[in-house]
Amino acid sequence: MSNPVLFAQALVKSYQSGDRRLEVLRGVNLQVLPGETVSIRGESGSGKSTLLHLLAGLDSPENGSIVWGKETNPDAVRSTGYLGMVFQAFYLIPELNARDNILMAKRIQGGLDQAAYARADELLKKVGLSERANHLPSQLSGGECQRVAVARSLMNFPQVIVADEPTGNLDEQTGDSVISLLIDLCADMKTSLVLVTHNPSHAMRTQRQLILKHGVLLEA
Amino acid sequence: MPWYLYLALKQLFSSGQRLFFTLISIVSVALGVMLLIIVMSVMGGFRYEIRQKIVDTQGDLQVRASGYIQNASSLEKVINTVPGVLASTAFAQGVVMLEKDQKPSFPSIQGLDMRTVEKVIPLNRYIIQGSLQDLDDDSVILSSQLALSLGARVGNAVQIYTPLMLEVAKGQDEVLLPTELKVIGIFEIGHQQLDSSTVIVTLRRMQQLYGLGHGVHGINVRIAASEDADLVTARINAALQKAQGKSIDIMPGLWARSWSELNQEFLWVLQLEKNIMTVILLAVVIVSAFLTMSLLLVLVLKKTREIGLLGALGATRKQIALCFCLQGVSIGVVGTSLGLIFGFTFLHFRNDVVLLVTRFTGSQAILERFYQFSEMPAHTAFSDLVIVVISAIVLSTLAGLIPAFIAARLKPVEALRSE
Ligand SMILES: Nc1ncnc2c1ncn2[C@@H]1O[C@H](COP(=O)(O)OP(=O)(O)O)[C@@H](O)[C@H]1O
Ligand SMILES: [Mg+2]
Repeated sequence: MSNPVLFAQALVKSYQSGDRRLEVLRGVNLQVLPGETVSIRGESGSGKSTLLHLLAGLDSPENGSIVWGKETNPDAVRSTGYLGMVFQAFYLIPELNARDNILMAKRIQGGLDQAAYARADELLKKVGLSERANHLPSQLSGGECQRVAVARSLMNFPQVIVADEPTGNLDEQTGDSVISLLIDLCADMKTSLVLVTHNPSHAMRTQRQLILKHGVLLEA
Repeated sequence: MPWYLYLALKQLFSSGQRLFFTLISIVSVALGVMLLIIVMSVMGGFRYEIRQKIVDTQGDLQVRASGYIQNASSLEKVINTVPGVLASTAFAQGVVMLEKDQKPSFPSIQGLDMRTVEKVIPLNRYIIQGSLQDLDDDSVILSSQLALSLGARVGNAVQIYTPLMLEVAKGQDEVLLPTELKVIGIFEIGHQQLDSSTVIVTLRRMQQLYGLGHGVHGINVRIAASEDADLVTARINAALQKAQGKSIDIMPGLWARSWSELNQEFLWVLQLEKNIMTVILLAVVIVSAFLTMSLLLVLVLKKTREIGLLGALGATRKQIALCFCLQGVSIGVVGTSLGLIFGFTFLHFRNDVVLLVTRFTGSQAILERFYQFSEMPAHTAFSDLVIVVISAIVLSTLAGLIPAFIAARLKPVEALRSE
């Protein structure tokens, strides 16, 4: 059996708001295998985003540990493109067209070459936006923007993608198609997926369904 | 191209509203730079012209003593051996009364040593009628304004009365006859103070008029173009110090002064004017830097979530700071370049502009009288150019620094959470 792409153990995270201490994560364990898709559900405010930020190495836990493959340093993880992220609000850069937004993932990692341009075009094709490559985000619909964001998250051949309610800003039909796209592409590229969602039918499409409740992850 | 420069340029020069704000910042920097370069160049031009005229009429430096200099030729020999000195010429000067057809005038008078004067003072350049070569002991050259006010032309005779005649008149009971000299030339410097009232005679005639014997009032010195007047002046003073009592007589107060020392007060006023204008105009650049800063601050606040995203994509804080700082730098560089282009273009066409303005206001004559130049001078010192460019770019960079610092301090998680 291969090593997990993501291995989190006993994650603890709390926020201080005023003189109250809010314990959001109280010992989260999570293991994601290569190519595996996992969904996380939970009420609003249950700490799903907090957990994803930890898993993405954007924040550090008070307790517990995360191993990304063999790497334990979150800065190193971010600087290698090991991990792709998709957000509820797309977060495209408004001054850049669809292709340049996708390329931005590679630009920041460094080593933008001919292959990277080819990769961006290939991804545009896969998300069905070849025709819209030169359009700015303001010229694209919400669903199209999220497709661009999905393509961007895949740009650097990540081992795992974490997606935080990627359909939250989309209508049902568009959301369904984005989820299909995300799951198909991950299967296609053998990329693992951690999907946070409200939608049970979206959650059902992943191999494993988890629920975040009272600060711990439970099997659904 | 590193991504932060790429993104900085994309954000600055994207189409739409942003471009408009960017252009306003750039134009304000450009305006400041343009005004600075124009004003510094024109003021530098006044100084340069004045220097040129002073040097053309007085030499690069003068050697004088407290009293008369009795043995000018041995002194000149010492001066001419100092490195950097090209030539020297003795002169005597004073004030006389000059009369033509019962019309009196009180010009200053310069006695020039005809053997050496042309090596030091290119007076021929300023002679508009006649020739310096024709000047002998019985003739004079008048400044154009003096000639005009007396109604004198080349070929006319003028009478000269000197203070010496008063001395003589006190003791003796004889009738004093003025010296009659023939006008053989007219000169015009293009500088009102020098043009207004001057006559030029030979040194020998001047010595006679003033009863100087072989004495002179001073020695004008010309130096090589590559030499610094103050340095050569110091060298001459050292040489004079050493030679006194040996190859030349001991003369009290024997001292060389450079043209800038001789005209210190005048030049000081010019410099003060220039400094004040520079400070005032620098304020324009400072204001535009604040404009740039507020533009970038708004940008950072608006882009908070994108900054979080960049962090999530692997951007370091330093790179994010650079991205915003470079926008300030870009505004500075583009604004400064445009400002220099506009500024030098204006300077190129300055006389047409002045002509246009004076034609509208009918003030050409006033301008000439006031500034003593018929054309607007301009001389851009390299050091001024460097000061302008560096201050504009440094200020714009500083303007980018604060927003950059704020952007870099944002934690990706917090940035991503902000709504
Ligand atoms: N920076 C913060 N400071 C204080 N409280 C926070 C902060 N971020 C999140 N929280 C709180 O932590 C809880 C979990 O937030 P979040 O992870 O965003 O939940 P979810 O994504 O599941 O809706 C919420 O109650 C939220 O108010
Ligand atoms: Mg959330």
